[in-house]
Amino acid sequence: MVNYGGDEVSALVLDIGTSSVRAGYAGDDTPKAIIPTSYGYIAPSPDADVQMGEALDNQGAEQRQKAQLYLGHSGPSLWRANMEITNPMAEGLIQDFNVTSRLVRHAFEDAMRCTPSEHPVLVTEPAWNTPANRERMAEIMFEEFQVPAFYIANTGVLNTFAAGKGSALVIDVGQTMTSVIPVVDGFVLRKGLAYSPLPKLVYAHARHLLTTTSQTRQAIDLSPHQLIANKLPVEPNAPPQYTLREDRLAGTTQTWRTWAEDREVEEWVQNVAGVLDQGWNDQVAASRSPKQYEFPSGYNTWFGGERFAVGEYFFWHPPHLVNTNQNLPKTIPALIGESLRACEPELRQVLMGNVVLTGGGSLYAGFADRLANEMSRGFPHVKIHAPGNPIERRYGGWLGGSILASLGTFHQLWISKEEWQEHGPAIVGQRCK
Amino acid sequence: MAASAADVRSALSIPTPVAGPSQLKKHPSQSSRKPEGISRELYSLIGPSAPSLAAQLAKPRLKQKPNLGGGGKVKWEWRKFKNQARTDSLELSHWVKASTDADTEYAFAKYNLQPPIYSWSEDEYTRLLQGMSTTDAFSENLTWYVIHDRYEFKGGPSRELEDLKDRYYSICRKLVRNRPWHADDASKNQLMASFNFDKEREQVRKKYIANLESRTPEQVQEEEALYLEIKRLEQNERKFKKDREELLRTLAGVDSGLPDIVEDEATFFTIDPKLQKKKSRGFDAESSLLPSIKRAPVVKDPADDAKHCIIRTELSATTPATKAAHTPAFMRSFKLPYPKAAIAPRVTQVLTELGISPSRLVMPTRDNCQRLETLMDEATTLIELKKAVDKSIQDIEVLKARLDIRGNELEETVQTQNLDGDMDMEERGTIEPEGEDGRAQSVVSTRSARSRRQSRRSLSVSSVDTTAASSARPPIKRQKRV
Repeated sequence: MVNYGGDEVSALVLDIGTSSVRAGYAGDDTPKAIIPTSYGYIAPSPDADVQMGEALDNQGAEQRQKAQLYLGHSGPSLWRANMEITNPMAEGLIQDFNVTSRLVRHAFEDAMRCTPSEHPVLVTEPAWNTPANRERMAEIMFEEFQVPAFYIANTGVLNTFAAGKGSALVIDVGQTMTSVIPVVDGFVLRKGLAYSPLPKLVYAHARHLLTTTSQTRQAIDLSPHQLIANKLPVEPNAPPQYTLREDRLAGTTQTWRTWAEDREVEEWVQNVAGVLDQGWNDQVAASRSPKQYEFPSGYNTWFGGERFAVGEYFFWHPPHLVNTNQNLPKTIPALIGESLRACEPELRQVLMGNVVLTGGGSLYAGFADRLANEMSRGFPHVKIHAPGNPIERRYGGWLGGSILASLGTFHQLWISKEEWQEHGPAIVGQRCK
Repeated sequence: MAASAADVRSALSIPTPVAGPSQLKKHPSQSSRKPEGISRELYSLIGPSAPSLAAQLAKPRLKQKPNLGGGGKVKWEWRKFKNQARTDSLELSHWVKASTDADTEYAFAKYNLQPPIYSWSEDEYTRLLQGMSTTDAFSENLTWYVIHDRYEFKGGPSRELEDLKDRYYSICRKLVRNRPWHADDASKNQLMASFNFDKEREQVRKKYIANLESRTPEQVQEEEALYLEIKRLEQNERKFKKDREELLRTLAGVDSGLPDIVEDEATFFTIDPKLQKKKSRGFDAESSLLPSIKRAPVVKDPADDAKHCIIRTELSATTPATKAAHTPAFMRSFKLPYPKAAIAPRVTQVLTELGISPSRLVMPTRDNCQRLETLMDEATTLIELKKAVDKSIQDIEVLKARLDIRGNELEETVQTQNLDGDMDMEERGTIEPEGEDGRAQSVVSTRSARSRRQSRRSLSVSSVDTTAASSARPPIKRQKRV
């Protein structure tokens, strides 16, 4: 038992990301519950709409609290008349704590069917989380869920632990944020932290690519299957033959439609998109074998070079885009450069020898190879740890938390309820560095 | 398709045997118990007449299963525990064996180690540390990179990692020096030494690392190429040196007696910056790297030569001063003339009789070499002379013998005048007197020539003493046949 240093106290690990909330028991290798972070709600009464005016924002939050929320797997993905979809996260940080606590309760009680007041809970946070945010999270856990002990750990550090390392340069590509986090001896070097909302740009580009008519094909209708009454099989690249569900169109909100279409884009990206490992080259892109993909409308075609154009945005921005857009999110090589410049020169070689690639956004075919090529241009000895198992890659932060919270030596670090009551929120900043 | 015994019987119309006598016999044997330790198949073959061997046939046994303690069920229970590394009363629960003592200390509490951190009292601060712009914001643990990362002192100057380290270690040194020390001085000095920190050196080192990293790929490539070139040159030099030594060793025997040739390693290992800079500007690397091979022009001074026993061998003026005409350095003893291969063994023999080994001179000075040369020349002459003498003696003997024969023949001819007509040419030739007819004469001449040649050959082969006898024999033999 002491051999591997583990001592399981049936702690819960909670990892809240933009795309999903992961919850499970410490010591497991996969989270027990993975539920979407986006949720649906229906505004309570039509008369509230009348009052909506200048105080829309304040009321919006209030309304959402009163409203019926639709969470989990049968939440946003089920079509409901007038259901709006929203996400409590913004730039990787929790904005709406009320809904977050609902989501967490759903994950713990409905999905995992456990009582949070019986388990210590380890929560993850992004490296750029604010002190106020983590204190709020601690407050929710202690006051609302009555947990006996709480700890909040950084996803960068947890990813480092999940890779079995103490020091690493973590490159985390999520759904909305890409971050480069230098970790030394289990601590994040805050000065070396670099992040940008790069994946947003990539998805926007993918969506743009699909919904515009190109030389080889027409614009694609991204209508989700919830809105399609029937369809007929068609030849590749032939116009789709389908009918929309007219009865639902009226009740479909704009946010739901956007959310559903984004999911179609995401699905397409996950199935088809890739990255050229040696940098962009039209000939190489054309020479790669095309992949077929069918959309809910029944439209299907072979995607050749354009499937590689999507991932290219992670590494390089075309000049016309740079010229027209000043606030373009930084590319991954730029983020790495920025991060390393802020680190001690002695540390750079250590970090480059321990690069950890993580996050579901990094699952493009060829992503790790491309990253290795980009990095080895500036540094001779780059070693990238990129788990091949998609679960490990996507939920690296959760996995690290699962490892950390099941270690015997870790149990002295929990913030107990007693300490919380004695010291108040300040204890969070003191204990969780 | 295999035909059973029953099929064969029916085909041959043999009645199926009803319980024959043989089977009757079988019954009692089957009923008898199969002894232990003998396989069923074997028993059915050899029957109850089990040999005494069977007693030794033990049944094969599997290895005994390891006894993993207890053997029974282990009871585990979900039990609350207190972690001694914690200061509060938090009780977490985990699964433990029910047999373990509930009061034992938590197994992981012992890993809670605190690094020794120096702190100071108000008094010490005012006495020792004031004026050092000290803050006590940093002294929590010694992960310096993290400390530097988190160091944010509002209103204070921004500090480099080295500043922080220097400050901390200097304060520690000061505190150790001024606090009452209870142990011996050695341990105090040791502690002081562990707090040594050379800020300047660290900064230089850091700068150097930064420089190393800021090289462009071209620079890195060039440096690598230069490094490879140096390695190659070094290897060449080493190979050359090895060859040279080996050559000397083979030339001069086991021990050349010469000191090892010191190669100019310095030129290869100390890469002086000037040289490198020159090269990086694109100068020819070869010309600058190769050590100067050209020596100073040789000054020929006869007095000096005599003093140092230098003997110069002048090249003839006609020899062109090309590389092919160049005579490499050689050992004098190697230029001793060899006697002709034909007489070499005899020269050696002569020299051995004199007690001189011609193959190796103990002291091959110029004089000795010359002496040996003359000696060998004289030995050769001696042997040649002796050979000539031997040959003359032999010729005389042959002629004498022939004269005798002729005298006898003359008498015989007188006695037997008439000769057989079918006498063969050769015999006639030898017997008939000279000048009888042209043909016979020619035969004789060839004959004599051959015999002469033969005698010479034998001379060369056999030893000096035996030549006369052996060379004299064949003509005699021939004559006997007559």
